[in-house]
Amino acid sequence: MSTVSTRPGASRIEPVLRTVAIVVVTAIVMFPVYWMVVSALRPSDESLSFPPPLLPHALEFSSFCQLFAEKPIAHWLMLSTFVASLTVIGTLILVIPAAYALSRLYWVGRSAFGLMLLFTQMMPGAVVVAPVLMLYRSLGWTDNLWALALLHTAFVVPLCAWVLKTSFDSVPKEIIEAALIDGCDRWKVLWLVLLPLTKPGLVAVSVIAFFASWNEFLFASTLITKNDLYTASLGLATLMTQLDTPLFVLMAAGVTFSILPVFFYMAIQRHLLRGLTAGAVKG
Amino acid sequence: MALAPALSGTATEARRRARARRGVVGSRAFPYLLILPMLALEGALVIYPIIRGALFSLETDTGLGLDNYRTMLADPDFWRMIGHTLVFTLSVDVAILTIGLSLALLMNWSFRGRGLVRSLLTIPWAIPEVPVAITFVLMLDPSFGVFNAFLRLFPGVTENPQWLLDPVLAMVVVIAVTVWKGFPFYSLVLLSALQSVPDELYEAGRIDGAGRFALFCHITLPGIRDTLALLAVLAFIYSTQQFTLIWLITGGGPVDATTTLAPAIYMQAFRFYNFPYAGAIAVVGFVISAVATLVFVAAQRRVETSE
Repeated sequence: MSTVSTRPGASRIEPVLRTVAIVVVTAIVMFPVYWMVVSALRPSDESLSFPPPLLPHALEFSSFCQLFAEKPIAHWLMLSTFVASLTVIGTLILVIPAAYALSRLYWVGRSAFGLMLLFTQMMPGAVVVAPVLMLYRSLGWTDNLWALALLHTAFVVPLCAWVLKTSFDSVPKEIIEAALIDGCDRWKVLWLVLLPLTKPGLVAVSVIAFFASWNEFLFASTLITKNDLYTASLGLATLMTQLDTPLFVLMAAGVTFSILPVFFYMAIQRHLLRGLTAGAVKG
Repeated sequence: MALAPALSGTATEARRRARARRGVVGSRAFPYLLILPMLALEGALVIYPIIRGALFSLETDTGLGLDNYRTMLADPDFWRMIGHTLVFTLSVDVAILTIGLSLALLMNWSFRGRGLVRSLLTIPWAIPEVPVAITFVLMLDPSFGVFNAFLRLFPGVTENPQWLLDPVLAMVVVIAVTVWKGFPFYSLVLLSALQSVPDELYEAGRIDGAGRFALFCHITLPGIRDTLALLAVLAFIYSTQQFTLIWLITGGGPVDATTTLAPAIYMQAFRFYNFPYAGAIAVVGFVISAVATLVFVAAQRRVETSE
């Protein structure tokens, strides 16, 4: 690790300057986050004044009460949780065997499969959204949350396969060979040796899949048309276009919707770094 | 380590015995069975729709043909869209890498609270796109948005700008929001790349009397060059994929000033119900991301071989 402070002859003032710069940059980056939270918590009469006070004069939670009382946000969040949970289950079922085959087995076509995964990972959703809608209509799968979860699964498994593969890669070869000597077959190696040793990787994959589905907007907005099937990202987008939603209620909805992903992404930050660059960069 | 050859010898032995037991698990088909479910899903919901979309684009009133492509290439709106996509993508890419690298360099020393700063930087990237759009639309509101208050601090600014009604400002806004949401991630990746540059190189450079700028050009930059190339491709893909932020903040407007590739496909398909034309634009999108993926693979190989 290269450190500035240990360098002989480094000026005393440099750490101070760097600290100030870091604080300033972080403050600028964090300002929209601060504004989002403050706008949800400030008294309602304050939110429409100009210039808006940077520090709220009081904090109140009435916006959240109003949000849950007047908007079906609890229902939306529940449906989002449902779709996201299905996505996690589907992802784990598909990704565990595939990551094992990518990481530990040798077979013809492995790199071609890896390339196909990368292609699908990089493909913009917009490229397929119209044909997917046609396909779903012909199958009668529109306005079906299970089918939406299946689509979310298809779009998140490539990334998750990379994350779990890097996790499997980090298990020492010797442990697997010892298991093989002890008479495990390759299936048992996966279940009894690899999976117990890669729990953090499995957690990371679950978190990625959950919030990929939770945050997704494009497919949800094209495939779901019934109000009572709205997931939270859809519901939130409609609140945004409804002019009768008070601003602080809208902001409270935004905050409510963001709390979970922010918390969990922070927890698995390092895994994400590695996964999103397909393992090429250490996180 | 004298044990190692013997150990791997018995391992090969054991593997042979395991395979001799036959069964599905020992067979050659086993890896293919493991990937089959995933392959089937990707085939059905990603690859098949891509092909289907490409076939749409060939459908014309008189049967199959390239008419949609002819229309597309002759359509000034299409070229405007390509122009907007280039402006958007290149600006986002350059800004993300420049700001990301600057911040990474700033953070590349041990200071108290580094963990905290890392965690804070994860936040913009973790907040879902819909609330991000809502927040920025609020902050840019022409009558009470807080950005106007900041802008008014500059001398000569007496009126709140119509951020989202001016074609140039609207483009600046969607670029800025996309960069804001994306760059912290790139910063964190670059930070770990910076930390993998060996200290000894810096020591040697200093002994040779290299100044700070020389150290950066001859040691830091070559050390992270491959990672930087990889991230440039990744940022390119991130920005061409962008739909939700643009759609919710400007709707592609005013008129079509912020309509890039993804909103353009959506608009053709779901506003004008012109699926064949949407299919033709989608093929352009497919080709762009396929080429980007190949460049990504090449960049990735370089990172891996240089480690």
